[in-house]
Amino acid sequence: MEIVETREQGVVVFGASGRIDASNAGLLEERVLGLIARGERRLVLDLAGVDYMSSAGLRVCLLAAKQLAGIQGKLALASLQDRVAEVFKIAGLSTALRVCRTRAEATAAV
Amino acid sequence: MPGVYNRAVTSRATIILQSRLTELERLAAFVDQFGEENDVGARDLFAIKLALDEVVTNVIRYAYDDAGDHEIVVRLGREDGEMAAEVEDEGRPFDPLQVGAPDLAAPLEQRQVGGLGIHLARQMTDRLEYRRQGDHNVLTMRRTLGGE
Repeated sequence: MEIVETREQGVVVFGASGRIDASNAGLLEERVLGLIARGERRLVLDLAGVDYMSSAGLRVCLLAAKQLAGIQGKLALASLQDRVAEVFKIAGLSTALRVCRTRAEATAAV
Repeated sequence: MPGVYNRAVTSRATIILQSRLTELERLAAFVDQFGEENDVGARDLFAIKLALDEVVTNVIRYAYDDAGDHEIVVRLGREDGEMAAEVEDEGRPFDPLQVGAPDLAAPLEQRQVGGLGIHLARQMTDRLEYRRQGDHNVLTMRRTLGGE
């Protein structure tokens, strides 16, 4: 997994790529929760390059969304590949979380 | 080449993993290779890979009372229109079939952050069988290939 962090119009965008499983989800969690701890409130996770995600990755998304919801912040997910989108759906997260088709839509949604 | 060789549909493979999360990538590569060699479609392969990942992750994280290395045996089999994936570990007795389903309809604030792994494994496969064999857990998952 690789993470590229950019800032677009006051929104922090994480562009992730590769596999997200239990061996590396902790790194993503550290990065995302670290930003929230430093006061960021608007986050986008762009998953365009993620071809595989297990529940360890879902957990990080859920954790971040819950933390942000408690402090008037927002998280949006963008550009999920079909199979990753299906994992979110089966986990019942495609409606509980804000899932957008594009990075631009997600940036506008947070 | 069409002919009788195409009917030799029984194929098996085994990998022995150590109880470390870094082994998950090796597990994925093993499943991918088996899938390629046995003409398993991408959708079925993703499902089997995810189900195995979730089960093995649970074993690595929760099955042992000590921090030492333990072997986890993963077996794949393909027979006719079905693929089987089996996980055998020497951890404490644990039957994933006894785990209740998470409440997927709960609003965000009430969603539990854990407990999704077993749910995914069950959704990705069609049949699961658990047995305690001596001091090992054996979980067999089966998925009908080419279906929904």
